[in-house]
Amino acid sequence: MNYTFHWRPAFRALPDMLWGALVTLEVAVLSMVLGVFFAVLLALASGSRFRALRAFATSWVELARNTPALFQIYMAYFGLGSLGIYLDSFPALLAGITFNNAGYLAETFRGGLRAVPPTQVRAARSLGMGPVQAFRLIVLPQMFRVVFHPLTNQMVWAILMTSLGVVVGLNNDLTGVTQDLNVKSFRSFEFFAIAAVIYYLIAKFVTGSARLMAWRLFRY
Amino acid sequence: MRVTTLAFAAALAVSAAATAHADKLDDIISAGTLRCAVVLDFPPMGSRDTSNNPIGFDVDYCLDLAKALGVKAEIVETPFPDRIPALVSGRVDIGVASTSDTLERAKTAGFSIPYFAFTNVILTKAGIGIDSYETLKGRKVGSTAGGYEALALEADVKKWNDPKGSFRAYQTQADVFLALAQGQIEATVVTSTVAAAIVKEGKYKGLVMAGDAPYDIDYVGLIALRQEQGLLNYLNLFVNQQVRTGRYKALYDKWIGGGQVPNLTVPGVYR
Repeated sequence: MNYTFHWRPAFRALPDMLWGALVTLEVAVLSMVLGVFFAVLLALASGSRFRALRAFATSWVELARNTPALFQIYMAYFGLGSLGIYLDSFPALLAGITFNNAGYLAETFRGGLRAVPPTQVRAARSLGMGPVQAFRLIVLPQMFRVVFHPLTNQMVWAILMTSLGVVVGLNNDLTGVTQDLNVKSFRSFEFFAIAAVIYYLIAKFVTGSARLMAWRLFRY
Repeated sequence: MRVTTLAFAAALAVSAAATAHADKLDDIISAGTLRCAVVLDFPPMGSRDTSNNPIGFDVDYCLDLAKALGVKAEIVETPFPDRIPALVSGRVDIGVASTSDTLERAKTAGFSIPYFAFTNVILTKAGIGIDSYETLKGRKVGSTAGGYEALALEADVKKWNDPKGSFRAYQTQADVFLALAQGQIEATVVTSTVAAAIVKEGKYKGLVMAGDAPYDIDYVGLIALRQEQGLLNYLNLFVNQQVRTGRYKALYDKWIGGGQVPNLTVPGVYR
């Protein structure tokens, strides 16, 4: 390759890139918290008696899982924009990824709910628990145990999806900062290599701490 | 028989040694194709016509260069941020991509002498109270990631440090116009040629030019790999010949038209 690496000036930009990584993590964590919330609702809706609720949940899940995340984020920004609803880059990216997360997780949760035997609910009810109480104290904890590892995967996926923020003009997350440095200096390979390492470390940190958490939380 | 085999082997060895020392200029000539990186959402420098063929000033410039070299031209569409990766990874031989010749970039890419020069204007929507560069303070502005004007505008937004103001960088020029037309941003700074083309085209309603941006003249050069001095030398002479033969003016009149042809020399200094 006809390229000589200049690492010294590239590493001078490391603090800026780490600040960018913080924004990346912020989007990912927020999108997971919101995504889990919506996914539980969607999973419940898809098992609901009401047809309209089922149809709503199905169309959300189908759209989220069968269209590119890039498209979903672009629609949250330019699509809503054409209807006169202006989300700034950060909320648009957050909305896009949350939509995606909720869609994938809803399917995971639906499977998780199925894995909890219905006899458990009946047993709980016969002990005098209300339906909400039974769901919260008996079903949900067991479901989260089943879906914990898919949840971690989705978190890593959410972190990597934040890199799509550049298409809606986000310039302070890790990819945005990297792209900014790249166009100023044209040292693409150094900056992208550093960004890749940072993404890798964040993803490893997440899977590592999830394993630790699982070990503490789910001991019998 | 033995002698001819030896002679053949010797000839092979000599030609192998010769190709080992071939530089990019030799490669282009022997390949018979010149691959140019051109930005195709940057009218009138580069865009596509109704049947999707690449057209524009930069496209014609590449065709002229290929003709001078006696090879076939291949236009490789390249967005602004991808110009250097395209060059370094060997996907293209040169960039005819309106690349501003900053000293920072020259540490990485090799620039020819300027082949064009831009001035920048403010593009905004009618009736939102933006009529000069100073009125951009505290507004939502944006531009194309990697452009000369984007770097200058972002620096000024940082300098103004107005909490209401913001800067957004988009990946393509088309997204900037879309964001401006929708109201995601309130103004952008673009080269006067692009602004004139987009206002004339009328695809986006209500866009107007609102005065000049007070930036230095944006000189742009052809780019090649930094170490390919033979090729860069050829590019310099080519740019010189384009001006000398009147082809530069002809291309200017064809694609931009009106006013003076931009002067490519800086008074008081060589090169």
